[in-house]
Amino acid sequence: MNYLLALSRQIDRMSWTAAQIAVVLVLVCAFISVGNALSRYLFDLSSNAWLEMQWYLFAAIVMLGAAHLLRTNGHIRVDLLYLRLHERQRMMLDLFGLVFFVIPFSIMMVLYAWPWFVEAWLIGETSANAGGLIRWPVKILMPIGFGLLILQAISEIIKRVAALQGKISLDVHYQRPDQ
Amino acid sequence: MLALEFMAPAMFAALVVFLIIGLPVAFSLAALGLVCGMIAIELGIFPAQFMANLPYRVFGILSNELLLSIPFFTLMGAILERSGLAEDLLNGFAKLFGGLPGGLAYAVIVVGAILGAITGTVAASVIAIGVIALPVMLRYGYQPRLATGVVAASGTITQVIPPSLVLIVLADQLGKSVGDMYLGAIGPSIAQILIFLLFIFILSLIKPKLMPPLPKEARTPFGWDLIKTVVLAILPSMALIFVVLGTIFMGLATPTEAGAMGVVGAMVLAALHRRLHWQMMWQGMQSTMNITVMVIFILIGATVFTLVFQGVDGGKWIEDLFLALGADDAVTFLIIVNIIIFVLAFFLDFFEIAFIVIPLLAPIAKDLGIDLIWFGVLICVNMQTSFMHPPFGFALFYLRGIAPPSIKSSDIYLGAIPWLGLQLLLVLILIFYPEIVTGFLDKPAIQDIQAIEIKLDESESGAQSKQTTPADDPADYFKRK
Repeated sequence: MNYLLALSRQIDRMSWTAAQIAVVLVLVCAFISVGNALSRYLFDLSSNAWLEMQWYLFAAIVMLGAAHLLRTNGHIRVDLLYLRLHERQRMMLDLFGLVFFVIPFSIMMVLYAWPWFVEAWLIGETSANAGGLIRWPVKILMPIGFGLLILQAISEIIKRVAALQGKISLDVHYQRPDQ
Repeated sequence: MLALEFMAPAMFAALVVFLIIGLPVAFSLAALGLVCGMIAIELGIFPAQFMANLPYRVFGILSNELLLSIPFFTLMGAILERSGLAEDLLNGFAKLFGGLPGGLAYAVIVVGAILGAITGTVAASVIAIGVIALPVMLRYGYQPRLATGVVAASGTITQVIPPSLVLIVLADQLGKSVGDMYLGAIGPSIAQILIFLLFIFILSLIKPKLMPPLPKEARTPFGWDLIKTVVLAILPSMALIFVVLGTIFMGLATPTEAGAMGVVGAMVLAALHRRLHWQMMWQGMQSTMNITVMVIFILIGATVFTLVFQGVDGGKWIEDLFLALGADDAVTFLIIVNIIIFVLAFFLDFFEIAFIVIPLLAPIAKDLGIDLIWFGVLICVNMQTSFMHPPFGFALFYLRGIAPPSIKSSDIYLGAIPWLGLQLLLVLILIFYPEIVTGFLDKPAIQDIQAIEIKLDESESGAQSKQTTPADDPADYFKRK
């Protein structure tokens, strides 16, 4: 179990790092978008590469942030009953969701998305737009994002099993995110 | 086939169960879609390649430029909330209207409307207004219920007033342009503000004790100095409104770019107030990232679910349900839909409603000849109530976070109810007077509607309607690809 908990800590750290990148990209992405609008309006210049960069970064924000959000229990739920559950019951429910929902779905997405990335990589696929970007960096984000999600789900399972056995204490507090 | 008939209701029932016991929405949707998809393939309802569409669909979400406006508007709201803008506005308008009974309430409504025209997220408005206005109102003897109610409602109105994030998401889900959606929302926004103001006016006649006027010494300066204060307070807002809304309507920027410019504008404003610092930015960026991921994952899950649900003829099942309820004309359908959404809004947030419920209802609305802009704006107005429902409404939840402990939760809940009624009143008005929405749409957009209605049976209606839109229409920048 200690070995597994160490693994879980490593995974948490990895997700955290990915999420920090995603946080920085939020601002970078906004600046790029402003730059696109201004250069088009002021100098009549428009670059497809920079336009595509916007949504490449958007995809990166979503895919790199997902695992961390799972760790912080930030994926939204209907909290009508959940808030009334005891800690142990919450952990059991979470375990069910992680094992039967998160992991199968993420595995499926990796299996579907991986060959898709490989194809883009092998043929050096680029955007159909003139001056557009090469495609594989954004296509690899999907297997990376869902891969991280699988790992994080494993980490969450380890932590919950350990907590249920009384080996660690785990905060399963849930608060709906602001919007 | 018997199995096929059971699939859609079973999927739906399972979804309800999973959501109610509190499993994460995004993964419940995705996993349910996946499992039912496999069962359907096994039963031969659709071929195995059907599910291979999935990565394309998810990729389509990630590459949707419109959805990129979600982080931008959220970040803009987070910065504005702490930028001191609302403070200046409230200060100016409170002095302007302060002498009247209910003057502070008018000020809160007007400032809510202005903030609504700047930012696209409710949290920013409610918190920014509440932090400043609530203590002042209480100090000068406003009834707590009235004070919390007017703050929650005025903050929530943000979601109807362009550039609302809700309208962007609805436009995306309905396959309409954001520009048209914004134009359609202008009338209802004005109507909602007037209804709120009128309510305070009538209440101030009947029960002036609930909302005493400010004493004279709290209203300095007077005359020209007062006008100067108000103008100075309102100028930065006007500049921001131009940067965000003006550029969208003039076709200079896409909604996404306008949101990004709003981020920079909000940063400049915060810097002018000497409130721009790295810790505040980092917090804003962090919560923005969280919300973006959360929302996009609901959308990804909903996409998987809807793909399979439509594959097992779920659309037809829903349509039959509505027919069974007698919804074979537009008005009945809209009334039933609005009741359903009102009830769902007790449990679900607007993102979930937009991603799960709207794709199921839109085809029926279209078949009944309902203009989808009207439909979308109507639903947007209705979904204000999801922020105001006691006890789970988000606006109330934010208020609880910032209200002084002397205010009881029951005050916040009871205070919200009259405003909920006023929001529903607007829904009713819009159902019977769609001109309030469609009257603001450009001529080409109206031709659009006619083209769709006349050519309902012809597959080329889409191509037809595109030609009627002039090339310089701002909407063209962000037509659904």
